[in-house]
Amino acid sequence: MLNVDFNKLADLINKNVQDAGAVVNVPEDTKCDSSITVSASRIYAVVEFLKTNSEMPFNSLHVMSGVDYVEWMEVCYMMTHFDVQNPREFILKIKITERVSPTVDSIVNLYAAADFQEREIYDMFGIKFNNHPDLRRILCPDDWQGFPLRKDYVAQKEYNGMKVFPDSKMNFDDREFIVRQNMIKKAQKQAAN
Amino acid sequence: MQSKWDIGEPEKPTINSQTEQLKSELLTLNMGPQHPATHGVLRLEIWTDSEIVVHAIPHLGYLHRCMEKHAENLDYRGVIPFVDRLDYLAAMNMEWTYASAVEKMLGTEVPRRAELLRILTCELNRIASHLMAFGTYALDLGAFTPFLYAFEEREKLLRLFEEVSGARLLYNYIWIGGVWNDWNDDQLQRVAAFCDVMEQEAKKYDDLVSYNKIFVERTTNVGVFSLQDCLDYGASGPVLRGSGMKWDLRKNKPYSLYSEFDFDVPVATEEVKKVGGQVGDCWSRYIVRMREVVESIKIIRQVLEKLEPGPVMGKVPKIIKLPKGEVYVRQECPRGELAFHLVSEGEKKPYRLKVKSPCFTHVSMLPRVAPGQMIADFVASVGSIDIVLGEVDR
Repeated sequence: MLNVDFNKLADLINKNVQDAGAVVNVPEDTKCDSSITVSASRIYAVVEFLKTNSEMPFNSLHVMSGVDYVEWMEVCYMMTHFDVQNPREFILKIKITERVSPTVDSIVNLYAAADFQEREIYDMFGIKFNNHPDLRRILCPDDWQGFPLRKDYVAQKEYNGMKVFPDSKMNFDDREFIVRQNMIKKAQKQAAN
Repeated sequence: MQSKWDIGEPEKPTINSQTEQLKSELLTLNMGPQHPATHGVLRLEIWTDSEIVVHAIPHLGYLHRCMEKHAENLDYRGVIPFVDRLDYLAAMNMEWTYASAVEKMLGTEVPRRAELLRILTCELNRIASHLMAFGTYALDLGAFTPFLYAFEEREKLLRLFEEVSGARLLYNYIWIGGVWNDWNDDQLQRVAAFCDVMEQEAKKYDDLVSYNKIFVERTTNVGVFSLQDCLDYGASGPVLRGSGMKWDLRKNKPYSLYSEFDFDVPVATEEVKKVGGQVGDCWSRYIVRMREVVESIKIIRQVLEKLEPGPVMGKVPKIIKLPKGEVYVRQECPRGELAFHLVSEGEKKPYRLKVKSPCFTHVSMLPRVAPGQMIADFVASVGSIDIVLGEVDR
């Protein structure tokens, strides 16, 4: 990560945005990157602050990425400052524990880049963005079922009368089947109790 | 006396109730997925008012191959061939970015010769990619000959890559820890000879196309992206530099050995005014690419001077296991900034691999530039961002 003092930035966010709850994530391994997690409900205010403040502005959103950790999901905003003299970048994160119908505020009003990126996150993880002007799937067909990059996703077998994922081509050692099975076992245990 | 043939004053057309009722509505046109001007399988739904584009909606996903999902079930070395297939015109650059992301987490030291060879191959690949962009862009605008000139030079590069890596487009050449194969002296001499020829050719392209009156008329003041638009949409590479920002990761955040090299970052700000255009139009983006070819030649010549015999592969464990954590690694590719967000949970496979594709960002800018353009100008705008759909759809 480039030219960002994480503790200072987290303090700055906490001071200026109410209930932001900014926490610095320091990795166990020093070779990995640090990041800042903020509260999911305040993401719009935090990004607005990052864009408009004068001390440490970020003039661009590089990309948005999502990660599914099964217990929770993360949306990562790669904030960038394109400046020849003083470039900056860092990862801003929010945690979402809801899996059935997760919703987050959209930041399209702040960065136009978020338009396609949020559509991709919705397509792959099923996270809905409030106030997004055109929230449709972007890479998968509009009538596709399930959200492919969730760890518990298993592809549909038939799509519009076509066999798309026959058993013979499935690799049951893949991670999603193991995760899925563990989740089912856990749910059964809970139901039994 | 009134002649038999005199029919008097012609009757003036009056707006009657019938013409008032004539409907006018927008026509929806599908440009693509199999349209030669979209360089692949991009579908652009455009709403037109006669010849004027009112609104454009890109529809992506025709080449979606679930690369990010596949990567989660492959070991770290096995991802490299998949990464190749993202931007198949600049596969070396894709491999290098991915390899450097893994190396950063692994803490591998790459031998000096391997780093220099990586710079050499990636800059050569950049030239090959820009030649393709040059040829097909002229083809989009109706000039067929430049395409053949460009392919003559590109062929020499592909032959070299084939000798070194065994493949013409999808190389699997840059591995984690170094490169697969060393270049021999004969091949390096051919690279030096290619640089000399390419320098002359670049001048020829300028005479043939860049300052050609028809080409200039077609591309200047067309498809203008302001700098604010570029930052807002997160554009990078030739699109950002075409809009006047002197930003290049190789210069502003030097990775690998780029800090040792002497080269310029071309921007079109002054040149475009000489031909009567404005900063950020199609011609600026085109000329930035052409000037980058010359800068790449400079870098390659310096690499050839610096090369010394040595190993080309560092020490990498047989089974790669990365520590728990994540990295975000950016590099400058021919089309813009490519980045990988690599998340590891301490296993043999990546937990998540997100590709930041520059073309995906640039396609999202098309609806911004479309309103008010003629259809033919819109084709020029689409060509000028130089999209590769393999990278957009992943």
